[in-house]
Amino acid sequence: MLDQYQTDSFFDEMMNNKEQPKPHYEHFYQMLHRFSVEVLHEKNETAQLSFLRKGITFTVYSDSVGTERTMPFDFVPIIIPSQNWQRIERGMKQRVKALNLFLEDIYHDQEIINDGIIPRELVEQNPYYYHEQASGLNIPYQNHIFLAGIDLIRDEHGEYRVLEDNLRNPSGMSYVFQNRYVMRQVYPELFFEHAIETLEHQLSELHQALIMHVPANSLSPEQPCAVLLTPGSYNSAYYDHVFLAQQMGIELVEGRDLVVRNDIVYMKTIRGLKRVDIIYRRIDDDFLDPDAFDPKSVLGVRGLLRAYQKGNVAIVNGIGNGVADDKAMYAYVPDMIRYYLDEEPIIPNVETYFLRDEEQRAYVLDHLHELVVKNVGASGGYDMLIGPHAEEEEIAVFREKILEKPAQYIAQPTIKLSRAPAFQGGRFYPCHVDLRVFVMSGAHSHVLPGGLSRVALKEGSLVVNSSQGGGGKDTWVLQERGNAHA
Amino acid sequence: MHMLSRVADSLYWMARNLERAENNARALHVQLINMLEANDAEVLDRDWEEVLEITASLADYQSQYPELKSEEIIHYVAFDSGNINSLVNCMTYARENARATRDIIPEGVWEGLNRFYLDLPAVRRSDFTIHEIQNFLHTITMTSMTSQGVIESTMTRGVSYSFIKIGKWLERAEKTARILNVICEKARKEKQDSINHHYYWLAALRLVNGYDAYIKEYPPKMNAMHVLHFIIEEEKFPRSIRYCVDHVMETIYKLEKGEIHHYSERLFQLLETIQQEVTSFDLEEMSMEELMGFLDHFQNRCIQVSRVFSETYYLIEPVEIK
Repeated sequence: MLDQYQTDSFFDEMMNNKEQPKPHYEHFYQMLHRFSVEVLHEKNETAQLSFLRKGITFTVYSDSVGTERTMPFDFVPIIIPSQNWQRIERGMKQRVKALNLFLEDIYHDQEIINDGIIPRELVEQNPYYYHEQASGLNIPYQNHIFLAGIDLIRDEHGEYRVLEDNLRNPSGMSYVFQNRYVMRQVYPELFFEHAIETLEHQLSELHQALIMHVPANSLSPEQPCAVLLTPGSYNSAYYDHVFLAQQMGIELVEGRDLVVRNDIVYMKTIRGLKRVDIIYRRIDDDFLDPDAFDPKSVLGVRGLLRAYQKGNVAIVNGIGNGVADDKAMYAYVPDMIRYYLDEEPIIPNVETYFLRDEEQRAYVLDHLHELVVKNVGASGGYDMLIGPHAEEEEIAVFREKILEKPAQYIAQPTIKLSRAPAFQGGRFYPCHVDLRVFVMSGAHSHVLPGGLSRVALKEGSLVVNSSQGGGGKDTWVLQERGNAHA
Repeated sequence: MHMLSRVADSLYWMARNLERAENNARALHVQLINMLEANDAEVLDRDWEEVLEITASLADYQSQYPELKSEEIIHYVAFDSGNINSLVNCMTYARENARATRDIIPEGVWEGLNRFYLDLPAVRRSDFTIHEIQNFLHTITMTSMTSQGVIESTMTRGVSYSFIKIGKWLERAEKTARILNVICEKARKEKQDSINHHYYWLAALRLVNGYDAYIKEYPPKMNAMHVLHFIIEEEKFPRSIRYCVDHVMETIYKLEKGEIHHYSERLFQLLETIQQEVTSFDLEEMSMEELMGFLDHFQNRCIQVSRVFSETYYLIEPVEIK
C-alpha cells in the first residue's frame, strides 16, 4: 500500500520508512491494509462530494468573479500522542496569555516599550495599531483574544514551532468539525481501536467563552444577547460564520442588520429593535464602522466604535489586535513571554531576520536562495518568496522589493516542513502539513483538542493555504489510555 | 430566538422564488405537451404567447425578439439570465436566499437547492432536445416539492415556518389568478360552445396542477363554471385562490397570537377585505369581462399584501414583481 512511499530527509508524521509506521500510527497502518486501493479511491470521491453537496465551500475571487470551491479533504489523519498534545496545549495557553497581556499593555501604559523590550516604532508605525480607537478601554476580563488560531509546523527533527499567530479573525474552525464528521461517515472503520479526544463539547465551550464577555452597561448580564457579525454570503469564510453561529445558537447578522442609537447597538428584527450585548465580529477592523475607520466601508455599522468605547457593547476579537499578530511582531513573542510571564517559551518560534536591521539585511540578501521572505502585512501565502524553489528572476524581484521597503519584509530559514502521507488519485504520496490550533478564551483559556491540519496537496508544494490548493485532514489527539496501545 | 428582518425577508423570497420556478416550469411543461397535438400554426403561436404571459415575461420577450419561435421562447423562459423570471434565475435566487438563511432552514432544503445549482452547468442551454428540457422541468418540480416536504416534515411551526408558507401562498394565489386571466381572455375571444372551450379549461386545470383533484369532484366534462369555481373558490383545494388567502390570514393571525396591534392593523384590515372580496363574489352573476376585472383586481391585491406585509415586519424593500 505504502511500498512506494518515500520519507526522504523530511520528518514524516506517520512513517519511519516505507515499511515501518511510527508507534502511534501502528493501528491505523494495520487498518489501512484491510482496504483495497479501489475502495479507498471510491471513499475519497464520496468524501469530496459530501463537502460539495453540503455547500461547505469557500469563495475564491479572481477578476472579481467568485467561484465556490471546496477545500480538498485527505483521509489520512494527523495523529498526535497525548504527551505531545499536552505540551502543545500548555504552549498555546502560554503564548496567547502573553499576547493578550501585550495587547492590554500597549493600549494602556506601554510598559514593554518603555522598558526597551519592543521598539516603539514597531508598534506605532504598524498599520493595525489603532491607538485612537482602542486605547485606554476597560473591556470584559481585559481579554482581547476570544479566539486565536496559532499555526504550528514541525521541522526536520519533529520539533513543533510556531509559524504564525492569527489574532484577528482566524477562520477554519468549522472545517475541524466537518472533517471529523465526514471522516466518521465515510471511514468509520478507521476509528476502531483508537481512543481519541472527542469534539462534542467544544462548541459549547466556545459559546461559554463568548457570552462571558458581558459589557459593563449590559441590561441583561445574565442572558446577554450575542451575535456573529459576518460580511455576508459573498465572503470567502461565510461557511465558517454560518456554522459557528448555528452551532452556538446565536444570530448571524450582517452590518445592515444592526443599527446604533444613542450609542447602543440594536439588531433589526421583525418585532422591531432588539438590544445587542456581544458581537463576535468576523469583519476586519477597517470595515467595522465607517465613522471610525474606513469611511467608504459599506459592511460595517455606523457608530459601533462609540458604543464599544462606552462599554455598551463588547466586540470580540478586540479592536486593534492586528498589531500583535503581524509577521514582524511575531519575532518578539518569545520576549513577551519572558517579559510578562517570566517563563521560557514552551513552543519556540522559527528564527526570523529583520530586514530593517542593516546587518541582518546584508546576510539575507546574500542568502536569498536559502531563505523564505515574507511581507509582514500579507497573509494567505501571498507576496512570499521561497528561495530554494524560486527562479532567478523572482529572487531579483524580491531583492528590489526588500531594498525599496526593508521594514515591510522579514526572512526565515527554509524549514524542512514535516510531511504526512496523502491519498489522492489512487495513490499515497508525501505532502507537507501544518496545524492550526484554536485557543478560545473568556475568563480562562481552553484549547480545542487537535485543530485544523492543513496539507499542501500539490506534490512538493509548501503552501497549505486553501486559496492556493491546500487541503485539510482530520486531527486525532489520542487519549492518555489510547497511548498505551501505541 | 429573535427573527432578523433580513432573514425573514430571505425566507419569504426563498419560498416565493421556489414556488414561482415550479409554476413556471409547469407552464412550460404543459405547453410542450400541448404542442404535440397542435396542428395550426396560429394556435401554436397563441399558445406560446400565453406561456410568456403566465411566466410574466411577454413584454420583455417581445422587446428583444421580433417573433415567437419555440426554441427561443423555451430558452428565454428556462435559461435566459436577462429574464428575471427565468427558471434558472428563480432557482438561483432561491438558492441564494437559502444560503443566507442556512442557519435557520432544514439542511435538506439547502442541500436540495445546492444540488440543483451544482448540476446546472451540465444542462445544455442550446441545441437541446425536448426530452432534455422536460427532464430539466421535472428536476425543478421535484426540487421544489422535496423542499416543501422537508419543510413540512421537520420544521417547527414557528416564525420561520410561517414566513416560508406566507411566501408560498401569496406567490401561488397571484399565479393562479394570472393563469385564469390568460385562459379567460382566450375563452372570451371564442364563440360560446366552441369545441376549444373544453381544451382551454382543461389547460387551466393542468396549469394549476389541479386536474387530478378536479376529476375526483366533478365529471371529466369541462364545465367552465365548475372549473372556475374549483380554482377560485374551492376551500379544500390547496392551489385555489380562496385556500391561499385563507391560509395567509390564518398564519398571520397565529404569528400575532390572535392579537391585533397598531403595527399589524393595516395588514389585518387588508387581508379581511380581500377575504371578503373572494367569498362574496358571485360567479353565476358575472360576465367574462367582470370576472377578468376581478382577477386583475385580485392580482393587484396580492402585490399590495406583499408590500404591507413587508412593511409590517420591517422587511427589506421587496423586489418589484412584474
